[in-house]
Amino acid sequence: MDDSPVDLLDSYRIDAQLSNGELWLRYFELGGMSTGVDLEAFLLGFLEPTIHDHDVIAHALNERFVELGGNHPVPYLEDTKHA
Amino acid sequence: MGADMGFRLEATFVGFEAVLALHGEVDLGSAPEFDAYLNWAIAQGHRFVVIDLRGLSFMDGSGLRVIGGAAKRLQLCGGALSVRSPSTSVRRLLDIGGFADLVRIEQPVETSDGIETGAAVGSPLKSVSAATVGVSTFLKRMAAVPSDDEVVNGALRLVVALAQATVGAADGVSISLRRHGTLSTVAASDEVILAMDAGQYETGEGPCVDASVKGRRFHAEALDTETRWPAFTPKALALGINSILSSPLEASKIPVGALNIYSRSTSAFAVKDQDLATTFAREASVMLSDVQVDMTDQQLEDRMSQALRTRELISQAQGVIMHRDGIGEDLAYTKLRRDSLQNGRPLHDIAQEVVDSARHRCDATIHVREVEHG
Repeated sequence: MDDSPVDLLDSYRIDAQLSNGELWLRYFELGGMSTGVDLEAFLLGFLEPTIHDHDVIAHALNERFVELGGNHPVPYLEDTKHA
Repeated sequence: MGADMGFRLEATFVGFEAVLALHGEVDLGSAPEFDAYLNWAIAQGHRFVVIDLRGLSFMDGSGLRVIGGAAKRLQLCGGALSVRSPSTSVRRLLDIGGFADLVRIEQPVETSDGIETGAAVGSPLKSVSAATVGVSTFLKRMAAVPSDDEVVNGALRLVVALAQATVGAADGVSISLRRHGTLSTVAASDEVILAMDAGQYETGEGPCVDASVKGRRFHAEALDTETRWPAFTPKALALGINSILSSPLEASKIPVGALNIYSRSTSAFAVKDQDLATTFAREASVMLSDVQVDMTDQQLEDRMSQALRTRELISQAQGVIMHRDGIGEDLAYTKLRRDSLQNGRPLHDIAQEVVDSARHRCDATIHVREVEHG
C-alpha cells in the first residue's frame, strides 16, 4: 500500500481545485505555521512536514472537498500512525 | 480582542530588500499577523528584511520571538534581518533574548532631502524610495510574475497577438479567463471574436467554455457538422466562423480559462498549429500561475482578515481544551479536528462552540460569585 501520503498532497490539491495561494490561506487560517514556499515543497514531497503540519494541510483540503459536496479523502497521519 | 487594534504594517520592496514598518502595538494578538507578513516577505524571495520600529508604541516577547525566528531563517538562506530604530528597551530585549548576533541594528539618519533612511550598518542593499503597498499587494508579491490585473491582461494581449501572427489559419484569437466565478474575455483580436466568446458565455457552451472548465483542448474542425454545442454553433456560423481551437489555460494546474483560435475555413488547424496553440496556452498559463486572478485587492484583504480572525479563534479554542483537559497543543488541535470530521462541520464552527461554552461557564461563575457576595 501507499506508505507516503505526503507525495499525494499536490494531486489532492488539484482535485480540490485550489491554487497554491488559496490552499496556503486555508492552511494558515487553520493554524498552519509554514510559509507558502514550504507548503509547496510539502505538496510536492520535496520537504517532509511534521505530522501536525501534514494534518492541518489534510484538514484544509478535506474541508474543501466537503464544500464541493464530497467526503474527506485525505488521510491524517495522526490517526493512521497508531493503526 | 482589542489587544491588536493598534497594529498596522506598511511594506516597501526594493530588489531583494523588504522594509516592514510597524505601527502601534505588537503583542500576543498581533504577533501572528506580523509573523505571517514576515514569512511572506521571505517566501517571495526577499533575503534582506528591515523591520522599521519608528512607528511602534509597544512590543512584547511574542513580537521579539517573531523577529528572532525570521532572523534565523534569513541567516540560514544567506540573508539578514535588520531592526531600524529600536527603542532602548527593545534593544535590551533583543540582547536578553540572545538575538543580538542574529539581528542587525540600524539607527536613523537625516539625509540631505530630509527623508529619514536607515543607516546601512553592513546592509548589503541601499534603501531607495518605493511606494507603500497594501497587504494584498504584499501577498500578491509572492507570485513570480506581475500580478496586477492590468499588467497580466497586457501580457495576455501580447500572447493573443503572437498567436494571431503565428498560427497561419487564425482569423481571430482571444483569451477567456474566469474571474470572480465568471468567464470573460480579457484579450481579443477584434469585435467578431469578442462576439464569438460572448455567444459561448451566454449559451454556457462551446469549445471555449469546455476547455476552461474541463482543462483539456477542444477542437471543432467543421462547425456545419458539429453536434456538441447546439445552442452556440448557429451563432458562430452566422458570424462566418467554421472552425475553433480552444486550449486550456491553467493556474497552479487548475483550469482558469482558454486560448481560443477562430478561423473562417473548415479544418483550418493542422497539427503544427495545434502544437503552437498548446505552446502559447502554456506560456499564458505560466504567467497566470499563482497570480490571484480571481480576487480583487479588497477581496484579498478581506479574505486575509477573515483568515486571521479564524486562526485566532481556533487558537483560543485550543487554549480552552488544553486547560480543560490538561493536554498539549497538538492533541487539543486533533480533538477539534476529529470533532469537525465527526459532526461534518468546519473546524472554525467547532472552535466557536468551544470558546462560547467556555465564555458561558465563565459568565456563570461570575454570576454565582456576584450572588454569593450579595
